[in-house]
Amino acid sequence: MKNFNYINAPDLPSALEALAKPDAYLVAGGTNALVDIRAGKINDRTLVNIQGLTEFDRITLQENGRIQIGALTAISKLAASDLLAEKAPALYQAACNFADPLTRNSATIGGNLANASPAADTAPPLLALDAELLLASRFGERRLPLQEFFLGVGKTALVPGEMVLAVEFMPNSFSSFLKLGLRQAMAISIVTAAAALSLDKEGIVREFHLAFGSVGPTPLRAYNGEKAVTGTEFADPEVIKQLQEAVQLDINPIDDLRAGAGYRREMAGVLAKRAILSAGREVGQ
Amino acid sequence: MSGTFEINLRINGQEAVLPTTAEKSLLRFLREHNYWDVKCGCEEGDCGSCAVLLDGRAVKSCITLAAACNGREIWTNRGLGRTDELTKKLQAAFVESGAIQCGFCTCGMIIAAKHYLEQGGKADRSQIKEAISGNLCRCTGYVKIVDAVYGVALEMGTGGI
Ligand SMILES: Cc1cc2nc3c(=O)[nH]c(=O)nc-3n(C[C@H](O)[C@H](O)[C@H](O)COP(=O)(O)OP(=O)(O)OC[C@H]3O[C@@H](n4cnc5c(N)ncnc54)[C@H](O)[C@@H]3O)c2cc1C
Repeated sequence: MKNFNYINAPDLPSALEALAKPDAYLVAGGTNALVDIRAGKINDRTLVNIQGLTEFDRITLQENGRIQIGALTAISKLAASDLLAEKAPALYQAACNFADPLTRNSATIGGNLANASPAADTAPPLLALDAELLLASRFGERRLPLQEFFLGVGKTALVPGEMVLAVEFMPNSFSSFLKLGLRQAMAISIVTAAAALSLDKEGIVREFHLAFGSVGPTPLRAYNGEKAVTGTEFADPEVIKQLQEAVQLDINPIDDLRAGAGYRREMAGVLAKRAILSAGREVGQ
Repeated sequence: MSGTFEINLRINGQEAVLPTTAEKSLLRFLREHNYWDVKCGCEEGDCGSCAVLLDGRAVKSCITLAAACNGREIWTNRGLGRTDELTKKLQAAFVESGAIQCGFCTCGMIIAAKHYLEQGGKADRSQIKEAISGNLCRCTGYVKIVDAVYGVALEMGTGGI
């Protein structure tokens, strides 16, 4: 027997108050929540609707140069953002390849991160962009680097009663995202990769961030891969080979319905190469 | 709120005050209140046969919480077919192109197509395919559906070749 209560939270204080109750279950777009309710994975909860918190449904370029995206921003809004297309192509590309146009109208970026699927498409770009989360509970707000947010499949560093308000990052036009799925649209990924790059005048890689989805229990940063490339000449074929070997130490893929672990390892190398080349393409020329 | 409670919304242009429960999907809610053109296919967001317009945006009603639609506006294919010129054109084009076989996916397809064209979508076959990529059809092989939307896009003069 399904047994739920419902609270509509029209503003942040009422949302935080409702979330403080032990049986509270936050619902944003509902695209994961409704599937989980139907499957019986959640029950005996008070659903807290936060769609009225419209101040968290926006993308802003802040005075300090950082981009802030409110948790309730729909993926379709990211996919229609000229700002992101120019200044954070990795996230823009992830949004354009997310699910299908209808699901994108409902799915929110906060829900995508909080759901903590290893295959969450917005996670690798945001990890590569070194994003930070703005979290809030009745006891106040705090900031948390996204790297420290994902703890396991469906597990996050959110404490009971806490929610994601926004995600923030420094723009990087030299960033890219690639998704390998079983079909073009509406596919959960086999592997995703995102890269963000900064080069100096001589074409040396000053900073390189690489992140993967679907090759471990959480979306992850590939620190070994990053180290193999930092300080080297951009697009040196030898270095790219070393990158492809190094990322094998970062990932820990499994066999599942969609692909085997061996294939995922192979493809993680391929996507790492394509992601870095695609991120640096404009500077490379 | 617990048990059964009422929500206020506009459905197909009419004010409605109707009962729901906390966890009910918009799909179940609409079908329980006799909006049978909203089809129940996979009920997990994959097939798109339950698509409706919610405040003007196409969404899958099976993964939308009914209670969260309080105060909002919903249009289904049937309601749009009575009042909306673009939907009338799409419906006629689907019939003319043979884009309907069993018909189960049609209502959702029309919603997805209307959304695409209203967002400025062009007569471009690959973009049309992307626009209906969240809607499954097991009969037509999609070609005739794409033909129908393409024809309406051309007629609207939204560009293309
Ligand atoms: C057909 C289909 C296709 C999909 N395709 C993709 C895809 O291609 N890529 C992909 O990454 N995902 C995909 N998904 C999964 C899903 O759509 C996304 O994860 C989506 O972004 C979830 O957002 P939501 O607003 O719908 O979350 P909800 O379902 O409302 O919530 C999801 C979870 O996050 C929690 N939550 C939501 N917002 C917050 C917040 N602000 N703070 C704290 N907790 C919060 C909720 O409590 C819940 O546990 C797909 C889902 C479906 C049904």
